Amino acid sequence: MMHFPTRRAVLGAASAITLLAMTACGNVSGGTADSSKYPNGPVTLTVGQAPGGSTDLIARAVSEGAAKTLGAPMPVVNKPGANGALASKEVAGKPADGQNLLLLTASLITITPLAVTADEAVNIDDFDIISGLSQDDYVLVASEKSGFKSIKDVTSAGRNITYGTTGVGTGSQLAQTVLFKQANVKGTDVPFDSGKPALTAVLGNQVELATIQLGEAMPQIEAGKVSPLLVFSEERNSFLPDTPTAKESGYDVPVAQYRAVAAPKGTPKEVKDKLVAAIQETLKSDSYKEFNKKNMLTPKEISGEEVVTQWKDYAAKYKALVEKYDISLAGNK
Amino acid sequence: MDFLNPVINGFAVVLEPMNLLYCLIGVVIGMLIGVLPGLGPAATIAILLPLTYNVEPVTAIIMLAGIFYGAQYGGTITSVLLRLPGEASSVVTVFDGYQMAKQGRAGTALGLASIGSFIGGTASIIGLTFLAPIVASFALDFGPAEYTALALLGILLVATISSGSKTKALIAAALGLLLATVGRDIFTGENRFTFGSLELADGIDFVPIAMGIFGLGEIMYNLEERHRAAKAPSAVANVRPSRRDLKQASGAIGRGSVLGFFLGILPGGGATIASMASYAMEKKRAKQPERFGKGAPEGVAGPETANNAAATSSFIPLLTLGIPANATMALMFGALLIQGVTPGPQLVEQDPGLFWGVVNSMYIGNILLLIMSLPLVGIFVKILRVRAAILAPITALITLLGAYTINNSMFDVTLVVVFGIVGYLMKKFGFEPGPLVLAFVLGSLLESSLRRALLVFGGDPLGFFGRPISATLLIVFVLVAALPGIRSALAKRKAIVPAGTAATEIKEKV
Repeated sequence: MMHFPTRRAVLGAASAITLLAMTACGNVSGGTADSSKYPNGPVTLTVGQAPGGSTDLIARAVSEGAAKTLGAPMPVVNKPGANGALASKEVAGKPADGQNLLLLTASLITITPLAVTADEAVNIDDFDIISGLSQDDYVLVASEKSGFKSIKDVTSAGRNITYGTTGVGTGSQLAQTVLFKQANVKGTDVPFDSGKPALTAVLGNQVELATIQLGEAMPQIEAGKVSPLLVFSEERNSFLPDTPTAKESGYDVPVAQYRAVAAPKGTPKEVKDKLVAAIQETLKSDSYKEFNKKNMLTPKEISGEEVVTQWKDYAAKYKALVEKYDISLAGNK
Repeated sequence: MDFLNPVINGFAVVLEPMNLLYCLIGVVIGMLIGVLPGLGPAATIAILLPLTYNVEPVTAIIMLAGIFYGAQYGGTITSVLLRLPGEASSVVTVFDGYQMAKQGRAGTALGLASIGSFIGGTASIIGLTFLAPIVASFALDFGPAEYTALALLGILLVATISSGSKTKALIAAALGLLLATVGRDIFTGENRFTFGSLELADGIDFVPIAMGIFGLGEIMYNLEERHRAAKAPSAVANVRPSRRDLKQASGAIGRGSVLGFFLGILPGGGATIASMASYAMEKKRAKQPERFGKGAPEGVAGPETANNAAATSSFIPLLTLGIPANATMALMFGALLIQGVTPGPQLVEQDPGLFWGVVNSMYIGNILLLIMSLPLVGIFVKILRVRAAILAPITALITLLGAYTINNSMFDVTLVVVFGIVGYLMKKFGFEPGPLVLAFVLGSLLESSLRRALLVFGGDPLGFFGRPISATLLIVFVLVAALPGIRSALAKRKAIVPAGTAATEIKEKV
C-alpha cells in the first residue's frame, strides 16, 4: 500500500512513530486526501434482497462489468431484511469512500414509507446516487376463470373482485389499490409473500387479478394461462407492446420498480466520477444489454441527480394519491 | 408414457458428475454421523445448511437427502457391533443385532440390514415416483384454504404422534407458534415483537433456530452426557447372509417396506416410529416369539428396512405438499427455501429437474450405500474413538461460521447462540425440540393461509367447507382430533371382554 508515500504520510512518520499506523489507515480508508488512488481494495456492492431475485441478478450483472473497468473486485453481498431497509441503513453508515455501495430499489424510497413507521423508512438523502439502472414494469394479469380480457371487463363487472399483491408496501399493492379507487371498483387486497405465490394464486384461480413484475409473469402470459390487462408504466412496454398502459385507459397511477447504484452520502467527487464511468461502460456493453432483454428490464440509465428528482417526485405523487383516495397501505386491519 | 419423461430426465440430472459427487459426500457424511451417537441427521443438516448455499439447489438437496438416509444405514453398524445405537431409529436393532454379533453372526446381521435398507428405500422411492404426479395434478387447486387445512392437520399430528410427554410437546409447539409471530405482519405491515429492531422485521429466520436448537444445543448436551466407552468391536466376517437367513428375513423385509412407507408419510411419523412398529409387528407375527432378543434375523431386517423406507417416504409430504413430516424434513424445507425453491404442490410442475433429480438421486444413493456400507465398517468404528472434547469444539465452530455466512450477519450468530442455549435446556428438561421447530414452520403457514383464505371468502369461515380438498382435509382433522377419545371409549368397552385387552396391550407397545 505504501509504495508511493505521500508527503503527509512521510511527515506523519517523522513526527511520531506511533501515529504512523493511524495516518496510513487514514490514507487507506478516509479517502478525502487520496481519492485518486480509488479503488483501494474490493468494492462491496450490498443487496438488500435475497440471492436469485431480480434485484440480486441486476447487482451481479453490474458488478461483473464494473469490476473489470474499476480494476478491483466487486463482490455482491446479500443482506436481506425489512424489504431492503436493513442493508440500506447499514451501507448509509459506512465511510463515504466508495468502497461500499448499495443497490437501491425505488419502492423502498417511494412506497414503503407509506406503510411503515417513520423511523423505519429509508431516506434517499442519506445517499449519493451514482447512476440509475433500469425500470422493471408491473403488469396487471387476470386469471382464466375470471374471464377478464381487458380492464373494461373489470370495471363493468359490478361486483367485488379479489386481487393478489406481492406484499404490504410494494408497488404491486399501491398500483392496484389506487387503480381500484380511481375506477371505482370494489376489491379485496390479498397480500402474498412475493410475486411467485401471487402468480400461482392467479393460475389456480384463487384470486382473480394480481399485479406482478413483467419478467415473472411473461412465461404464463405467453402460455396463455393469464391475460395481461394493463401495464403501470407511463409508456407501453416494449416487451408487451399490445397491452395498454394504465394512463391510456384513463388512470393516473404510474408505478414501476426502478433500481440505482448508491453510495453513502459525502462520497468524494473523484470517486463518484470513477464509479459513474465504470458503471456507464458496463451498461453500454452488449452482455449487459442482453441481460436487460432477457429479464425484460427497460434501460433507465439516468444520472444520479435525475434519479433523486424522479424518485422524490414519485414519492410525493404516491403520498398525494393515497391521501386523496384515503388509502392505507397497511390496510386490512 | 409422457409422465415418465421428466422421471428419465431426472436421471440425467443425477448423473451429472457434480451431483454424483455430492450424493456420495452426502451418504458418506450420513453414515458417519449415523455411527456417532448423539449427532443425528437433523443436527448435521442444520450445521451444514450454509455450506449448501453456494451450490445448485438440486445438488444441495441431493447431498442433504443423502445425509438423512445415509444416517439410517450408519446407525445400524454401531447398534450391531457395539450395542450402541447411533440413531434413535436403530435402537430396536440392538436387541437382536447385538445378540447376532455375539453369536459370531455380525456380518449376517449387517448384511441383512443393508439389503433390507436397500429394498425398503427403493420401494419407497418407487412409491414416491408414482404418487407425486397424482398429488401434483391437484397442485393448482391448493389455495389459501387448502393450506390452512393442511397446516392445521400437520400441527395436530405432530402434537399427537410425538414420542415423549404430550404436555411437553404441546408446550414446545406453543413456543414455536409464538416465535412464528415475530416480525412485520405481512398483511398490515405492523411490527410484532420486534422491539424496534430492523433485524427482526422479517421475523426470525428458520435456519438460526434450527442451527441453534438442533446443532449447538445437541453439541452442548452431548458434551455433558458421558458416553459408554466403545468396546472392542466384534469381528465382522461372512458379510453375505446365507440363503436360509435371507429366506427367513424376506417376509420381514417385505412387511417392513410397506409399514415404513406408510408411517413415513404421516406427519409426526418417521424412521424411529417405523422401526419400532416393525419390530413389534415381526415379534407378534413370529411362530416362536421367544427367539426375539436372542438373535432373530427378522428382528434386524424388519426394523432396518422400515426405518429406511420411512426416511425416504417422509420426503413425500414435503416435496408434494410442502408440509414437513418431521424435524429433519423441516430442515430440508429450510434448505429449499434458502435456495429460493418453495416446496409444495407446484414443485413437480415448476421445477421437474429439481424434483426428479432429488428423487432419483435416492436410487443412486441407496446403491452407493449398499456397496460402501460393509467395507467401511472398520473405519467407522475407529471414528467412534474420537473424543467428544475434540469433536464438539470443531462442530460448534463450523456451526457458528456457517450461521454468519447465510446473511453475512452477526445477528444471526447471536440468534444461533441464544437458540443453542434454548435447545440445550429443552433437551436437559426432557422437551423434544421437534414440535417447536415444526410448529414454527407450520405456524407462519397457518396464519398467513388462514388470513388470506378469509380475505378471499369475504370473512366467511364456511368457505372452507365449500371447497372439496379443504373440506376433506378438515374432516380428517376432526377425525384425528377425535380419535383418542373414540379409542379410549372403545378400550373401556373392550375391557369388559377379556379377549380384547390382549390386543390393546400389544398396540400400546407399538
